[in-house]
Parts: sequence; structure tokens; C-alpha cells
Amino acid sequence: MKKNTLSSPKKNTLIQDAPSGLKVLLAEINHVKAKALMSVLTNGQYDIYHIAHSGVPLLRDVKQLNPDVIIIDIESPNRDMLENLNQISQFAPKPIVVFSEQQNTNTTINQMVNSGVSAYVVGEVDQVRVKSIIDVAIARFDLFQGLKQELADTKQKLSSQKNIDKAKRWLMETKQLSEIDAYHFIRKIAMDNSQKMDDVAKNILSVASIF
Amino acid sequence: MFSIEKKNITLGFMPLTDSAPLVIAHEMGIFEKWGLNVNLTKQNSWATLRDKLHSGVIDAAQMLAPMPIASNIGLHGQKSTVISPMILSRNGNGITLSTKLYQKILSQHDTNALSMPFSANILKHEIDERKRGGNKLTLAVVFPYSCHYYQLIEWLKNSDISPSEINLLIVPPSDMVPSMHSGDLDGFCVGSPWNAKAVREGVGITGVTSSDLWEDSPEKVLGLMSDWQVKHPETTFALVSALYEACQWLENIPNRFEAARFLSRAKYLDTHIDVIAPSLMGSCLTLNNTSPRKVESYQQFSTLGDPTFNKPAHHYGENIAKLMQACGHINTQQITDLDIASIYREDIYQAVIYKDKKSLY
Repeated sequence: MKKNTLSSPKKNTLIQDAPSGLKVLLAEINHVKAKALMSVLTNGQYDIYHIAHSGVPLLRDVKQLNPDVIIIDIESPNRDMLENLNQISQFAPKPIVVFSEQQNTNTTINQMVNSGVSAYVVGEVDQVRVKSIIDVAIARFDLFQGLKQELADTKQKLSSQKNIDKAKRWLMETKQLSEIDAYHFIRKIAMDNSQKMDDVAKNILSVASIF
Repeated sequence: MFSIEKKNITLGFMPLTDSAPLVIAHEMGIFEKWGLNVNLTKQNSWATLRDKLHSGVIDAAQMLAPMPIASNIGLHGQKSTVISPMILSRNGNGITLSTKLYQKILSQHDTNALSMPFSANILKHEIDERKRGGNKLTLAVVFPYSCHYYQLIEWLKNSDISPSEINLLIVPPSDMVPSMHSGDLDGFCVGSPWNAKAVREGVGITGVTSSDLWEDSPEKVLGLMSDWQVKHPETTFALVSALYEACQWLENIPNRFEAARFLSRAKYLDTHIDVIAPSLMGSCLTLNNTSPRKVESYQQFSTLGDPTFNKPAHHYGENIAKLMQACGHINTQQITDLDIASIYREDIYQAVIYKDKKSLY
């Protein structure tokens, strides 16, 4: 692969056999800007990969590199693409750190962070600050993904409970079973067929819908 | 005239043909006439335009019609009460296929031309062929919460093609045509001037426009924060008045060419007038060196003497919310919780256009 990597000399290839730290992808077309950021980012904890592609080629790089975090200029046209990786089925969403050369007030930065991006680096940055920003970005992203998963699990649980309740009710009405017997009936079928109770309930309901 | 609370305001726009109302209001001195000193700032991504609006870096912006709804739900970020007091444009999008794919489709159907607008049925043969090889067609749009996205999905669904049968990418507008050149993209659904650019470069064929799919549905709207409007009610009125005047100006066809000249400048679209002017003249370039297709409503900004065109009527918002739900962007609970009347603000528009400000005070 031909790549423009501006990482430290020992990391002069894009793909390494045994990456030592977090993989950070810096997507920046402008080499001067990239160089400035690279010099700040380079330390033992991260493997920094600079990629000067845009559009679909950048997407391919992301797929191949599978970075832990992506850093991008807030003014880059590629932001919509990278922030919506999860709209594209074969990609997992990635934490994004956005940087800007313009100085804004602290409140603006906080608001911008809250309004979407994982973290926001502004103006001149030093090594210690960048490290903490990246750490916070990853933590924030993990938390957000965790909350999303939790919500999805809860919704799933609620809807299976609903199906089981409905199936129970149908059994109680049509087979004159008590509530506890109806429950045992569903559970037995589930265990005999190594199915989830939710799936059995769904089957019962689909049979019920024929009558 | 209004008693303006904030004379100097910053507006965000994306370099697209339908940013014309903002550019014209600026260039023709219409903002000034309404007492506003506007700083127009070009943006590079919809996400950054949105974040700047949410955080107050810009005062108002040209937005994709679904974006205020996405902001109020908090898709990709914190919930923010963005409102829209006005529709800025309707139609303007097109679906372009690569000429390479088109040539293949022609040979598959044993014909030398397809009638337009074409349905997605023409893709079926190729979708099946690629499926056998473990591949898919790759299509792209610029942003998920956009009419482009919903129009492309609907075009496919109208031919019983499920979105899972294709690869759908989000790609920056300026990368669309190069990606078609390189063979990475088989097609895209975007706004002007990107379809015309693909045709002029001989790399694409535009066979469907949004006018063919959903006649006169809102495309871009004016977006601002609800608390900004509360703080600056008269400035909001002045802004809507100026933009309405610019939209009316754009309905005069001779003015459209002048608009194309302004838009082609470096600070706006930075693109040749050759690709900007056609859609403004109701011309859809289809295939390079063939006659364009006449699509009168390709870029609609207003209707002369009829203010209802730019009114952000609630039913438009409701329709968009339904499309968002159909594509899995929002769920039933979110759609139930949505108060469209508080986002698509017909009341503000009515108050300013019909000069009846009582309802707001």
C-alpha cells in the first residue's frame, strides 16, 4: 500500500505486525497541518497513522487499518463520512476527535463536544493535553456506545416479555390453562427445542393469528 | 421595517446550487435593505454546520429539511431545539449512474437508450449478476438525514429493491465525481451542481430527478435555534423577509443566469458556470453530448405572488419524520414524542409574511 505516513522513523510503515498501543488515524490532506499535529501526538502510547486520502480511498484505509480513534479537522469535508461509519454496514462506529485551528471560547468547545463529536482539540496543543483529550474521547465514546447497547437490550427484553405475556393470555383463554401452567407450557417447549421463550411465544402468536 | 436586535449576523451555507437564496440576498443587497449586515460563511460538512449552529458559532443556516427534526431528537449528538421558520427551496436532487454501469445495463437489456426518468428496475439484472459473484452495487449520498438518502431508498423500494441489496456509502460531495471516475461508485443521489458535473465530465448519466420522485417536496430550510429566535424575534422577521424576497427574485428566469454567475465565484461554489446554470434554467443534463431533459421545477425557490410555497407547513415535517422512521433513523416512540409544530414554525412565517405579528407576542 502506498501511504503518506509522517509518523516517527521507527513507525514508517502503515501496517505493523504487533502494534504497541492505541491505533490513532490522523486524516488530514494538508501535510503541513498534519506534521504539526503528528509532532504533538507522537509518544510511546499511540501508533499514529497519517492518511492524506479523502472520500472512498480514505474509507478503504479506515477499513484496513481499523483504528481505535480517528482525528480530523473540523473543517474537513470528510467529517460527514467518518461520523456516519455505522450507517455503512461493514464498519463499526469509531470515536472521532475533531481539531480546529481557530480559537474559540471554552463554552463553545464544550457545546460542540456535547453536540456530537467525542472530543474537540483547539488551537495550539501540548502533548499532555492531547493525551488526555484522546483518553476522554475514547471514554466518552465507550460510554455512549454502552448506553446505546443497554437501551437496545432493555427494549429487546421488554418486547420479549410482551410476547410471552400475550402468548400466555392466548393459552389461558383457548386452552383453559392457569397462568402458571401457561408459563410452564411455553418454557417446556422452549427447553425441549432449545429455543428462547420469546421465540416460542412468537410462534404461538403466529399460530394464534390464524384462528 | 423591524426593530432589529442584532444587526450583524453570521449565516452558514453549503456550496450547492440551492444556496442561491442566501447568496442572492447577500449579493443583491437584500439583507442590507432589511437592515441586516450578514456574514456568509461557507461550510464543508453538514455535521460541522450543525454543530456551529447548536453552539452559536453561526446565528442561522441553510439546512437539509430533515436536519431540524434530527437535531430535536438528538440523532448523532445532544438534543437541540432547532426550528425552521421557512422553506428555502424544493427539488434540486438527481440520481446519477456511472456511464460504465449504464453501458452495461444497455447491453443487458439489448437496447441503445433507456427512457427517462428510469426506474430502479434497470439495476436488477446487475444486482443479481453481482450477487452471484458475492458483490453489490455501490451507491452514495452525502448525509444520512437528507432527502437524498430518503429519495434514493424510495427509488429502490419502488422497484422492490431492498437497501440491503446494495452498498450505501456516505461520501463528501466533492469526492462523488472522482469516485465515479475511479470506479468506486456505481451511482449517487446528490444535489446540484454535482449531477451536472458528472455528466459534463462524461462519467455519469442523470436519469431521475427529485422532481420525478416527489414533486415539490421541501429540500433546504432556514434553520436557527429556538432560543435565538426568542431573543431576536424582529431579527428573525427581517431574515425571513429578506430571504423570501431573494426567493421571489429567483423565480424570474432571466435572473437565474445572473444567480449562476454569482454562485460560480470562488467564495461560493468555486465551480464553472457550465455546471451551475443548467439546473437553474430547468434543464437536466442527462448524458454528455445529448439533448438535456426539460425539468421545469428542477430548482424551485418560490412561486411568484404565492407565499404558501415557502411556508414550512407541518405536514411536510410529518412526512419527513415518517420517511426517517421508514429508514430506521427514528423509532415509533421518537415519532410519537415529536412536536412538529414546535420545529416547522408556520406561525413565524405567517406572522412575517402576512405582517400579523400578534400571535407571537
